[in-house]
Amino acid sequence: MINRREMLSDMAAGLGAMLGSGLIPARAAAPGIAPSSAVGSPKRVIFFLQNHGFDPLTCLPKGLTESCSLAGVALEKPMQALEPYKHRMHVITGLHGRHTNPGHSAYFGALGGCRGGTGVPPAAATIDHALSQVLPQTILPPLCIGMESLESMKARPTLATLTAAGPNQPTFMHCDPNMLYQMLFGSIAEGTIKQHYQARANILRAVERTAQLKSQGLPLAEAERYARYVHGFRDLNGLQEKLSGISDQLRKVAPRPDERYTAPQFETQWHDALLEIGIAALQANLTNVLTIASGCGEYFGSWKGLGIQDTGHGLGHIDQPDSVIWTKIRQYNCEMLVKLMKALEATPEGPGSMMDNTLIVYTSNNGEKQHTDGSNWPFVLLGNAGGRFKTGQHTAVVDRPINDLYATLLHGVGAPVDRFNMDKNLAAVHHSQVGPIEAILR
Amino acid sequence: MIAVRLRSGATRWPRLFLALAAALSAAPADEVADDFAARAQPFLASYCYDCHDAETKKGGVSLDALREVTADNASLWKRVWEQVALKEMPPPKQSDQPALAQRLEISTWITEGLMQALQDHGGFIDHLRPAKGNHLDHDLLFGSRPKNLQPTSTPARLWRLHPQEQLVRLNDLICLKRPYNPERPGLWTHGDHIPSNLEGEIKVYFGLDQYLTSFDDAYSIGVSGFQSSLSMIRDRGLRNYPFLYSVNSAEALQISGVAEKVLRYMARGPAAEPYQFTDDIEKIPGQYRNLNLIFYGTAIKRPLTPLYELMKNPGVSDDRLSEVIRFLFQALTLRPPSQAETARYLEIVNQSIQEVGKEEGVILGLTPLFLDRDALFRPELCPEGIPDAHGRTLLQGDELALAINAAFSYIVPDADHLKTALAEGHLKTRDDVKREVTRILNDDRIRKPRVLQFFRDFFDYDRAPGICKDRKFLEEEGGHFDTYYAAMLSMVANTDGLIELILQEDKNVLKELLTTNRVIYQPASSGANFRDGILFLTDIAYYMVRGKQWEPLRDFSEIAIPPTSENKLLIERAQREIEQHNMRHHIFPNPSQPIYVRQSPFDKGRFPPAMNALKAITTVDPKERLGILTHPVWLVAHSDAMDNHAILRGRWIRERLLGDAVPDIPITVDAKLPVEPESTLRQRMHVLHAPECWRCHQKMDPLGLPFEMYNQLGLVRDRDKGKPVDASGEITRSGDPALEGPVNSPMEMLQKLAASERVQQVFVRHAFRFWMGRNETINDAPILQEAFQAYRDHGGSMKAILAVLLTSDAFLYRQKFP
Repeated sequence: MINRREMLSDMAAGLGAMLGSGLIPARAAAPGIAPSSAVGSPKRVIFFLQNHGFDPLTCLPKGLTESCSLAGVALEKPMQALEPYKHRMHVITGLHGRHTNPGHSAYFGALGGCRGGTGVPPAAATIDHALSQVLPQTILPPLCIGMESLESMKARPTLATLTAAGPNQPTFMHCDPNMLYQMLFGSIAEGTIKQHYQARANILRAVERTAQLKSQGLPLAEAERYARYVHGFRDLNGLQEKLSGISDQLRKVAPRPDERYTAPQFETQWHDALLEIGIAALQANLTNVLTIASGCGEYFGSWKGLGIQDTGHGLGHIDQPDSVIWTKIRQYNCEMLVKLMKALEATPEGPGSMMDNTLIVYTSNNGEKQHTDGSNWPFVLLGNAGGRFKTGQHTAVVDRPINDLYATLLHGVGAPVDRFNMDKNLAAVHHSQVGPIEAILR
Repeated sequence: MIAVRLRSGATRWPRLFLALAAALSAAPADEVADDFAARAQPFLASYCYDCHDAETKKGGVSLDALREVTADNASLWKRVWEQVALKEMPPPKQSDQPALAQRLEISTWITEGLMQALQDHGGFIDHLRPAKGNHLDHDLLFGSRPKNLQPTSTPARLWRLHPQEQLVRLNDLICLKRPYNPERPGLWTHGDHIPSNLEGEIKVYFGLDQYLTSFDDAYSIGVSGFQSSLSMIRDRGLRNYPFLYSVNSAEALQISGVAEKVLRYMARGPAAEPYQFTDDIEKIPGQYRNLNLIFYGTAIKRPLTPLYELMKNPGVSDDRLSEVIRFLFQALTLRPPSQAETARYLEIVNQSIQEVGKEEGVILGLTPLFLDRDALFRPELCPEGIPDAHGRTLLQGDELALAINAAFSYIVPDADHLKTALAEGHLKTRDDVKREVTRILNDDRIRKPRVLQFFRDFFDYDRAPGICKDRKFLEEEGGHFDTYYAAMLSMVANTDGLIELILQEDKNVLKELLTTNRVIYQPASSGANFRDGILFLTDIAYYMVRGKQWEPLRDFSEIAIPPTSENKLLIERAQREIEQHNMRHHIFPNPSQPIYVRQSPFDKGRFPPAMNALKAITTVDPKERLGILTHPVWLVAHSDAMDNHAILRGRWIRERLLGDAVPDIPITVDAKLPVEPESTLRQRMHVLHAPECWRCHQKMDPLGLPFEMYNQLGLVRDRDKGKPVDASGEITRSGDPALEGPVNSPMEMLQKLAASERVQQVFVRHAFRFWMGRNETINDAPILQEAFQAYRDHGGSMKAILAVLLTSDAFLYRQKFP
């Protein structure tokens, strides 16, 4: 396992190397092969962020404010689908994200633990990227998928609102399943998808050659700097070759694009398709971190496929507990979580299943509700990532920032840090403590 | 004679920065023997060993064991370099001081040694960074003119586009051009930079011109747009030096994604469903009215380009494709493609069409044009041309035309003139360049966003919206958390506007920037101060004096708002709300005049960003504010989450006005002020009077503390932590005897600084750096002196500075290294 010093140096390289930092993970990965390692070790983390807030009363019974075992607790109706998984669940309340400017959404602040808000560029790498750097390496950097109304997903097939590789380095989420499918599985597709994939690959190679041509005759210093640009394409082309190289593996897990992809009636069909692709990307070991953004990290959203006619910002004004609409949305979230867990359980890894080595983090991009100051930011953890995280618990934290949970995640995957994205001068103001939240780690 | 020689070991490092180093040094690499013994040790022996040998070891530093620069001793040598270059050592009070030329020689020896020693250890480029420009002593540049200098030049190079430059060009492909209106110079015009919206995004939008209406918050979700894919470092001050940037793979991939979107939009218009196009809002079916949908007019409103024609009509041919390629290439690189380039791109598009058909193949096949080297980097390579006796080649052809253009503009506003001059052979000599530069400078129709960018980088006021304020402290100081960031963005646009006004006047530019009491603000009556019936605390609140009542607003009609349809709705709403809430406040006693600034309205959710706001210009009490440094945005940009930042403010004056610098803070120092909620910042900063701190802090703190008359939001205050405000400070070690001495207020300090020739010279140095994209060297001294002379002779004209800089050898000549 990578130690803290190495991790910090990797992160520093990622943040500092303005000229060189790119898309491809810093350390080379064995293409497509799940890293062999001891029984049960953290291999992947999945984030699921629902927008408009996550009211803890849609999960836990009213009045349950103390830490306790979940064994005797009945989950509230919106989250009942997780009842069978309660022993693998950890509900955390009492964290805060007041410093992330959550209001409608903290945007990059939600996973970054720094000041966010509309249009505020990321101030640092978000936790998904930090984790991806220290988990066993995969071909792709963290993958993020975003779910919205059909019109929005079509108008903005890629969008950067939640995740970042470093300060001012937002990374994109994918909202159009057809485009994402083509990017990941185009090499094994048939028909027009295959043709488009091939055409793009050819173009990228042509760009690399053209760029290479224009490096001739450059002065030495300039040639070195320009080479970083050319090498970027070499890396991208290399990535495509790597994907082609594991086509057998991709074929085993790739979903089959059907009418839900090409002629969707409701946005939820695209949501389901995106989830399928995300699961397949995990199963093929293309990525070690998947981030699912239901509502794309913003404050709109649409779920007409669930029979919800209201859309957009107004959804956030509804009080979530006891709301029919929010019960449906939360139930839909939980069905997705169950689908994820079942798929990972069904996929062998080492002596057990992929789920054994996975942690799922379910939360919101702005605390417990819309127009919040972020004083209570609930989280649900599912799975224990190789036995590192405690489960079957509710932990009521006393006013520590979400940054402390993110530091705990890094501890849990074996890359301890004192703090995550928290300036020591501000730590006292935000009640951040050094080290992990002990009640969460085993 | 000042001789700066390259080290004898220079042949060993033909790597990344050798070329730069050679270009930035003065003399050829020869005639040097044992470097250390010959060039460094005598200096150390004369000026350092007395206090810093193994025996004396003052401050724990011993230098007598130091030899050639190596990776192991690099950090110590780096400290020596800074201490010597910045005249920190030998201590200023010591009488036996080395001559400036000696300091320069040893500094150069050390930095060259560091580059060589660290070349396999992450490299050393500190001395080339903008922040280290002042390490070259001011008096060397502006003292008696050095003799026997080699004529200067700049290394041949690729200059990566500024993010704004890229966005402006892409915007041109998809948005209609707004012509310049001399009646309203502040309006967003073709060629201006892309203003940030009030949520801080600098974004180009699709469908802006065809946009009709929307319901709910649809605008921000339904309209697709993009930010620049290129990144900038976050350092303060100048930061656009070519050697700092390339384009990485993540950026390249984003560019190709954006390219696809742009091409699709150029060909087909807004990506929307048929029911989103209408000419009659009333006829939008009810089922769509409560959704997050936006609606477009049916008439096409976007630039119709050869790509549109190609996709509208059936079939393809090489001729038609070539026309599209030539158009796009010109739009993206600002020059026509060569035949070989056209052929190459034609081959790529044809291949792509063959693979996936015309509809998709054309779009995909054209994306590589957006990734052409010259669409992302501006070359200054002098591929042709004969070097002169000093090995320098004059820029020529497209490279020269584009260098002149890029000094001002991000687009080709000037295509006709420059192109004609080029085609007719009238763009070859320094006089030709002078003619073109003068013409551009005097033509207001040619927008000059790059000039404004210089002032943003120089002053750093545009960093204000990026300063994260702690809510509790912000509210205690009279701020309004929900509107704070929007107010800062709005005020950045105001300061932009004021700077452009001062540049238009072009009289005593620096003095005006430092001492004008004019400010631009958003009058309550402009309507934009209201949201949902609540007074939207924008800039107006930040010009209040804490504790004073607002003075009554005289009359809504005080500001003549042109009754355009654009303004009509806002005016009506504002009038209603003013009456309804009986809001009659005004803080400025003096008559104000309307003025436009480029900024989108706050209501991003409901309106498209019009990018123009009607503001007012007035004067404030000169006892309260003078110049940009007293604007809330500058003060906030130099503050932190919980308080003022007197050190940063002092450092700004030390570096940008006095031309001095402070060495990097040693990593062993735990820089933190004591937490004492009852004490003022000045009191808490007393810990910095400890001798080990004060050596550097005496150069900053006394210059920053006068600004304690403002609170951390930039509001004037008369009490601080219950005590009367102490706004005293002192100018020391300025290099100008007239400046030295205590000051009682920021106003007094700024008046003194604005009157100093030295300060004007330092300003010229910064302009040189910005436009040349590198730090000045001793060889540039004649240019700097001439530019300053021109500024003075022309009554403080910025145009005069630019006319000299842009016709100088440093701008026109390139040194080519193998």
